[in-house]
Amino acid sequence: MMKRVLPIVLAVATVVFIWIAWVQSGGIERHRMFSARSPEEAVRLLLTAAKSRNWDAAYSRLANAGEVEKAAFARDLGGSNGSLRTYATLENFNVWGLHADNQEATVRAKLHYSTAVGPLDDVRDIKVRNDGSGTWKVVWPTSKVPKLAPQVIPVNYLRWDVINRGAEDDWGVQNVDSPQVRIVSMNALQRPDRVVILGEIVNEDTVPAYVNVNAALLAPDGSPVAQETSFDKISHTLLPKQVSPYRIDFPGMKLQQIKSVRMDAKAMLVPATADPVIAVTQQRMETDALGKKVLRGELLNQSGQIVNIPHVVASYYDANGKVIWVSDGYLDQELLPQIPVAFAVDLPDDVAGKVQTYHVVVNYYQKNNS
Amino acid sequence: MRTWLTSLLVFSLCVAFAQAAELRPPAQVTAGTPFPIASNGTGEGTFYLIGPAQISKRKVNLGGEISVQGDEVEQAGMYTAILCADQCTSVHFYVRPAQTSRLSLLVHPSRVPVAASNAISAVAFVFDRFHNLVLTPQKVDFKVVPPGGAAISQSKTTANGTAWIRLTSARKGGPAKVGASIGDLAEMRVVQQVASDACNLRIKAVPGPKGIAVETEPVRDCSGNFVPDGTVVSFTKTDASGKTTVDAPIKRGVTQVEMAVSGPARISVASGVVNGNELSLGGAR
Amino acid sequence: MRKLAITILRRLILLLAAGLVIVCFSFLQSQIHAASEAPKVDLNPDNVGPRAIEELTSKTIARDYANSWKTMAEALDKNRVDLLDGYFTGFAKDKLTQLIAQQKQTGVRIRYDDRGHKLDALFYSPSGDAMQLRDRAQLGIEILDGGKVIHNEEANMQYLVLMTPGADRWLVRDLVTTPEVKP
Repeated sequence: MMKRVLPIVLAVATVVFIWIAWVQSGGIERHRMFSARSPEEAVRLLLTAAKSRNWDAAYSRLANAGEVEKAAFARDLGGSNGSLRTYATLENFNVWGLHADNQEATVRAKLHYSTAVGPLDDVRDIKVRNDGSGTWKVVWPTSKVPKLAPQVIPVNYLRWDVINRGAEDDWGVQNVDSPQVRIVSMNALQRPDRVVILGEIVNEDTVPAYVNVNAALLAPDGSPVAQETSFDKISHTLLPKQVSPYRIDFPGMKLQQIKSVRMDAKAMLVPATADPVIAVTQQRMETDALGKKVLRGELLNQSGQIVNIPHVVASYYDANGKVIWVSDGYLDQELLPQIPVAFAVDLPDDVAGKVQTYHVVVNYYQKNNS
Repeated sequence: MRTWLTSLLVFSLCVAFAQAAELRPPAQVTAGTPFPIASNGTGEGTFYLIGPAQISKRKVNLGGEISVQGDEVEQAGMYTAILCADQCTSVHFYVRPAQTSRLSLLVHPSRVPVAASNAISAVAFVFDRFHNLVLTPQKVDFKVVPPGGAAISQSKTTANGTAWIRLTSARKGGPAKVGASIGDLAEMRVVQQVASDACNLRIKAVPGPKGIAVETEPVRDCSGNFVPDGTVVSFTKTDASGKTTVDAPIKRGVTQVEMAVSGPARISVASGVVNGNELSLGGAR
Repeated sequence: MRKLAITILRRLILLLAAGLVIVCFSFLQSQIHAASEAPKVDLNPDNVGPRAIEELTSKTIARDYANSWKTMAEALDKNRVDLLDGYFTGFAKDKLTQLIAQQKQTGVRIRYDDRGHKLDALFYSPSGDAMQLRDRAQLGIEILDGGKVIHNEEANMQYLVLMTPGADRWLVRDLVTTPEVKP
């Protein structure tokens, strides 16, 4: 008797354990969502697959799979050509319906990526279609990635190489000086949670400069209260006569606490190239889908090389020409040669009302020579 | 009384014999030159020589001359000679620098805009062959050779081993040679005199394949020198589609960009903090 | 009665001994603390030329020169060349490195008791890349061979100092004693 009971008990236990493991790994949810019963579920299912970079599973959620190439779909969500999105991880997402009828619905998804340069949000309005059997599937935009015709783009811009004095050379042996840079404007602002120092810096020299702006807030007795640097809110590499905005944040500080600000612009002579030239076109102030004021535009890489990670830094001026805000944003998409890519950087609503004009500079990182 | 006098004599003799050995260095010592130090006393002692970069220690016979080698006194400055027998006695002496044999010439900046008043400085530091700063006054001849011009000379006397001059850069760009010499010793540096900020920056627009081509006239500074290639010129176009900015570097003296224009447009140009002219374009292209 | 008196006396002696130990310990502590502090440096920037010293530079020079003496004294006392990296460069560093090597070789050691420095800025180059100063220093100098003091003096020394800017501080490039000692 015991001889039979034991195998049966073991078999039952094995089945139970397998079932528990399946439940634990989200099997029920997967099963339940395999045939999404609502538009939100359909988008959630697709994004869950995208989160684990399971492009096959995500692709199987598409209503228009025949019109969308799987590779293009994977590129859209996972990035390509060493763009910021290729290094990003989809941390989480929020999904809510905008409108729906029995056949079609629009769902807004806010995707939160984590990247090496900080969190990145992507808001998309996604169309979802009922396939007639009660299952909802996603209609992925079929916009084709423009392709440039094979051609030769001659690039003959300047490149600066630097040969410095050797470490073993005597003191007094001639060296090349650091570039001359100058802070052309500085403005200290009190924001609700911080003091912000912003302005512009120009490379006055005839050689490229790698610049950084440091600021120290000084107490009435002249002692430094806090010190910060512009970090990535600046275009670090400035070609001759190029101007960059900068912004330095002092979280938790109040303007009343300080008497003056000590600014320090550091410049290093670095090898650089004048290529690529990136045009910033169609700049305009708008209100985005979430109701925030943004500066929109397009970046056009005029060179023949891919710019992997573009970074936009914008300065905003009031009617007197004074810099009143500086904002920046990384693009998670690479800049292919001659193909415009849209960007948007936000700015506080109270500042947006005072903005008369703006200036955008583009910083970039390239795999080969960032 | 006799007993008292005898005691005093014995005490004096004891003191005389017990007195530590003395050292008598020469009044003047030159860096790198060997010299003797006279000592008195009898027997054997330990001699120490402590200098700015030197410590020597050796057994010596008292009463004779202690030889100090040239390589023990290469650094100028104060030395302490110590002789220890029963007691230690010490004496200080100074080693002065040897003859001038090196010139460190600091010329700044390595690049300077043209026609900049007192913008170039040349500082000469005079050293001997052991890197000691030569503190006695020396006459340094500074010489400047501008590109394509006649050399200009000026003499300065060092103070504490240093002499300096300030110069105004020439109106014409190009490399200027700045030199300093003392006798046969000479050092030469090159200062690149570069164009200053752009002057009368002007643009013109012509039809191009992708819209209009906006091109600067040859970009020069106020002295007529070409602004170097690679200098960034910023073009800003404002039309119905919004604002477009292009930061493009000068290439072969001019900068050219292509811009699509929709409707009436205004195009302005700037380089650094210098603004140029503004173009108003009437119609669509 | 006598036994009680002896007991009280013993306790008093113990108490005194303990007090003495505490006093000695505090004294040693203060000495150690004093040794680890940078010496006092007063800089007179009034007679400098051709360039005037910026206020911040003047503070930096005084601070860095004080630190250079502190690290030099420590480096010579502990025979540690690595300590020189912070505030010395060029000839000054070469000389001190050689001096420490010779200290190790001979067993002789130089110990400074730094009582402060009065600096007069003499020359500040037009481009701000070199500064020459005269230092009138009050020093206690002790030279030891092994554990034996072979020379001890209180000295008013005069130095000619050449300092050049480094990445975030001014460095001593040359430090030479000069004969005109006028305290």
